[in-house]
Amino acid sequence: MRLNKITEAIPFLAPVQILILSVIVIPSLYVIWLSLNASSFGQSATFVGLDNYIQVLSDPAFLRALGNTVMIVIFAVHLELALGLGMALLFASGLPGRRVLLVAVLAPYAVSEVIAVAMWRFLFDPDVGPVTAMLSWLGLPMLDWSFEPSHALIMIGLLTIWLHLPFTFIILYAARLAIPKDLYEAARIDGATPFDAFKKVTMPLLGPAIVVALLFRYIFAFRIFSEVWLMTQGGPARSTEVVAVYLYQEAFSYNAFGTAAATAWIMVLASLLLATGYVFLLRKQVAGNAH
Amino acid sequence: MSDKLLNLTRRSFLGTAMGGAAALAAGQSFAAGKTLNVLSHKVHQTVLGTGDGDLLKDWKSANDADVSWTTFDSNPLQDRLFREASLSSTDFNVGYMVDNRPTKQIAAMFEPLDAYLQKDGIEDFEDIAPGLVQGMTVDGKLIGIPVRHATQGLFYNEALLEEQGISAPPTTLEELAEQAQKLTFTSKAGTPVAGMVLASDLAVFPVMFARAFGGDFINAKFELLPNPEAMEKGLSVLRKMFETGALPRSYATTKNDDQVTWLQQGRAAFTVLPFARFAQLNNKEQSKFPGKIKAIEFPISADLKGKMPMSSIVEAWGMVIPANSKDKDLSWKFIKEVSSKSATLGMAKNGNGPVRVSTYADPAMSSNPVAAVEAAVLKNARGAFPPFPEAARAQSIFLEEVQLAVLGRKEVKEAVASIATRVKPLLQA
Repeated sequence: MRLNKITEAIPFLAPVQILILSVIVIPSLYVIWLSLNASSFGQSATFVGLDNYIQVLSDPAFLRALGNTVMIVIFAVHLELALGLGMALLFASGLPGRRVLLVAVLAPYAVSEVIAVAMWRFLFDPDVGPVTAMLSWLGLPMLDWSFEPSHALIMIGLLTIWLHLPFTFIILYAARLAIPKDLYEAARIDGATPFDAFKKVTMPLLGPAIVVALLFRYIFAFRIFSEVWLMTQGGPARSTEVVAVYLYQEAFSYNAFGTAAATAWIMVLASLLLATGYVFLLRKQVAGNAH
Repeated sequence: MSDKLLNLTRRSFLGTAMGGAAALAAGQSFAAGKTLNVLSHKVHQTVLGTGDGDLLKDWKSANDADVSWTTFDSNPLQDRLFREASLSSTDFNVGYMVDNRPTKQIAAMFEPLDAYLQKDGIEDFEDIAPGLVQGMTVDGKLIGIPVRHATQGLFYNEALLEEQGISAPPTTLEELAEQAQKLTFTSKAGTPVAGMVLASDLAVFPVMFARAFGGDFINAKFELLPNPEAMEKGLSVLRKMFETGALPRSYATTKNDDQVTWLQQGRAAFTVLPFARFAQLNNKEQSKFPGKIKAIEFPISADLKGKMPMSSIVEAWGMVIPANSKDKDLSWKFIKEVSSKSATLGMAKNGNGPVRVSTYADPAMSSNPVAAVEAAVLKNARGAFPPFPEAARAQSIFLEEVQLAVLGRKEVKEAVASIATRVKPLLQA
């Protein structure tokens, strides 16, 4: 069937275009418009140019939140990748009781974030938490997360790793299972040690999966909210605040929609910037596979 | 037979669908003719009772109306209410607004109620505490009818006081600090007890400590830190309590609900909560100390005792009608009913802070052990701070500095100076 006029083609394309327009493009344009205006409830929007962006970027609370976010992202995502990779290789090596262990490893992904935080708060309660009591019994220092900002950030990092490890693990495990056994046999015949096989066979072939897992986790981790909000609410004294919490406060506590919208766009740009290296790596790999 | 059961034809599918739709439509005929949509906190719905104890039972049948409640926690509730009121129209007929939110801009989104009051008055309107009515009046226009107040009192666990040989609760702030220190111990039951538990995310508590020394955060005249030395003294008491362990190590992450749990479980000896929490704290099914948790007025400092009354904090809620809502007459009828003397008394019995002065004098209230002290505290109570457009941000800055001072990360004097510097531009705006 040949369509001569563009008007004849539109109905066929429309569902996808309408969906993208209504769900992504129009809301994004609206947020851009909001970010260039000062507005709140009962107050009509006033055009302020880039003032909201300047205000957010010069707010020490935002810069601290951005720093905390970057720190959590870098620490949590890479540690999670190392753990996920280690576990994927362990499982692929023929671990006994693999099915049961697989369920156990994937279980945190089925737990609601709210319940997970409530559980961790109880376990690590500085006064009556069972984990705190155990650490104290073993003569180890407690995780003083309700007082020390650095401890709180470590706790948030550990919690986010625990919650999202199944995602990274399952991607890497599936990719590892897809590597043909013949390659390992060939490497062994050529005299490769297990480490050589890991370096020359496993890692290059897991590369695309690692980049995909990293990219997704970078983006997900950058918008971390519930772990922080439910654990510390950004305290003590806003010291553990992350960008998504800052945005929430601007929009829903202070009803400052202009600065909230500006924060949202800064957040998008910052997360893209942080993930740029991996995006280029992915493009290179995709281009490489195409040849 | 199973083949026959699975044989779904277009005709039978359409027939079943139409029959089902007809049955659902017929079901509507058994329900009330009108539905009033109310946006509130769960507690506002709960205090009006259910089933046989439904305080609106007669009103619903007289008006052929049902009430549909949508409930949220306080902050999300205010956000949703303002969001609904800023649309071109809303399905919500009545909303509940807290008294530190109605600024001039917010008030403009709600129906002025003076004309309704004149045309179809509320029973003995003068009986409603004038201070609470004032809190719902913006630029001379009444935008909300007070329905609930939460006046803060000092709660203590009498059993723990007795265990430590303390025969009477404190009468001054200094005594409170001293007793809290003594009550930081491990109880006979083996529970580690903190002298006092307070949430760190509400301005109520540091403001109460400052008021005990004659200070304030922002007063009704919009004066910021009218007595900075008093604020410093109040924060110093809190800091010392934290340093000595009388405030728990988890102070910075303690929330309002934790205060209730800690007191019920005997993990803390003192806390500051609304008097309306009395029943919950002494509930046999939830509390390890039913009947042993008592409440008194938050004590003033020794220097001011007898010279001026303690001004505790009261938070009040009012019922408002969004200006963009439909059937405002029905909304007003609902407000009128909920504000009536009988409904106010009924709600008070269910744990609501009554807004009518006469309710406290009602014999039915004599069974409430804290009614008299609550009424006395209410006389001098006022909000934590008055409403203004940047109030939420100002509160957040205030709490940030308070936490820094209490946790020992900043000198108290420096924190108070920071509050003054950082909040001032928000007041001017």
